Amino acid sequence: MHERLSYYVKRDSSIHRLNPLTKIVVALGIILISFSSPWYWTSLILLFLVITPLCFVGEVSKEFFRSAIRLIIPAAGFIFLMQAFFQPVGETVIFSFWILDVTQESLSYGFYVATRIAVMISAFTFFLLTTHPSELMSDLTRRGLPGQFAYVIISTLQILPQMQAKAQTIIAAQRSRGLDTESTFLKRAGSLVPLVGPLVFGSLIEVEERAIAIEARGFTSTHVKTSLHDVPDTSLDKTIRWILVGLVVITLVLKLWLS
Amino acid sequence: MLDKIKKDFTTMTWVLIPVAIAINIAIGQIVVLLKLPVFLDSIGTVLVGIICGPWAGALTGALSNTIWGLFNPDSLPWWPVAFFIGLVAGFCANAGLFKNWWKVILSGFLIALTAAIVSTPISVYLYGGITASGSSFITAYLLQTGQGLWSAVVSTSFLTEPVDKISTAMLAFAIVQGLSKRLVARFPRPENAAAEAGNSTTQLITAIIVTIIVVALGFVVRNMLS
Repeated sequence: MHERLSYYVKRDSSIHRLNPLTKIVVALGIILISFSSPWYWTSLILLFLVITPLCFVGEVSKEFFRSAIRLIIPAAGFIFLMQAFFQPVGETVIFSFWILDVTQESLSYGFYVATRIAVMISAFTFFLLTTHPSELMSDLTRRGLPGQFAYVIISTLQILPQMQAKAQTIIAAQRSRGLDTESTFLKRAGSLVPLVGPLVFGSLIEVEERAIAIEARGFTSTHVKTSLHDVPDTSLDKTIRWILVGLVVITLVLKLWLS
Repeated sequence: MLDKIKKDFTTMTWVLIPVAIAINIAIGQIVVLLKLPVFLDSIGTVLVGIICGPWAGALTGALSNTIWGLFNPDSLPWWPVAFFIGLVAGFCANAGLFKNWWKVILSGFLIALTAAIVSTPISVYLYGGITASGSSFITAYLLQTGQGLWSAVVSTSFLTEPVDKISTAMLAFAIVQGLSKRLVARFPRPENAAAEAGNSTTQLITAIIVTIIVVALGFVVRNMLS
């Protein structure tokens, strides 16, 4: 239940030095190309010939493969199995199990959906491994994103682990009092209230204090704020972003033209 | 219009949103731990919708799924659903539908309806109707019986969403009622949370009629698709 929230790995690679906006454009571009491409093998090629090499360039390949084993392969594999068993398409039955038929068509469709999902997750993972959240936020704020958005995202990333730890404490405390969290359905449903109540009320009470604290530090001030970090944005970044936008447009045109 | 929306985003709202997102995720995980057949992962979103208005609720929902996507990537493509859950919860609250328990059931139903409609295209386009969630067994069964893809997905949503969203709305209502009046008054829309004392028969009858109309509408939509 206690997951690591920031994936960021501190390295000094050419990918790490890119502007955060460029990296998010690259990740979203890859996802869009994968989902809009009319060609069956696009996602697989993107996965092995684009995302994986990018992770090697970014010197995060070890972490990438670790999250591939932990996250990407199980998620994509599960979707593949669901599709293979439950999609009622095709005639060529490979084997039957109970009332479910696995056909050649459902296998190939499942593979198609699963690779697209795998591209989505791994592009996102690549982005998270090479970009620090606060770096992204300070760059986006400089580009005109209201500071409040940056506050929400950074603050959530900080509150969440605290909240999860608090939830663990409450569960342990209520269990030691004899709260039933494992037996019949009604008892489990009934124990929702003593677990959720303390967690929610405890955290909502802090809201007011925190609001006063950040208000006192000029949260709602409309003046331009200076940033401690200077995030570089080179002409290379701009070129990469335009190339990606171009590629996405080309894929969309191809898709519309071919269908 | 824009000024009206801006009025909802006070410092209290901005501070509540991260807490609400954390509540969404933490309760979602507690529910998994208790092995309950619901998600209950939008209680925080509905809560913000009630006391801070529809657009704050919508923002909470969208950001919630994006941030949850950091360690559960499967929730990422569903952010429009969460967006509309927050929005509809907010509109229901503005219309006074979070003031007593049967009105809350009605809001839960409206939220479920929205969630079902918004999630269908995502499910069909991204996953071919079979998602990674357990309710796909129903979709698969309906597909095997020869129903069309869209109607199978919509029927599954109409079967599973109301239970989840009505309990979500009920829990959010209970939380708002449990907060002190002084704290609620600091948020932009405390009037949405003020509970009505006593409920008259006419109101109850109206609610039943509206619920029946909503159910009928659901069936009409379903039949139109099949």
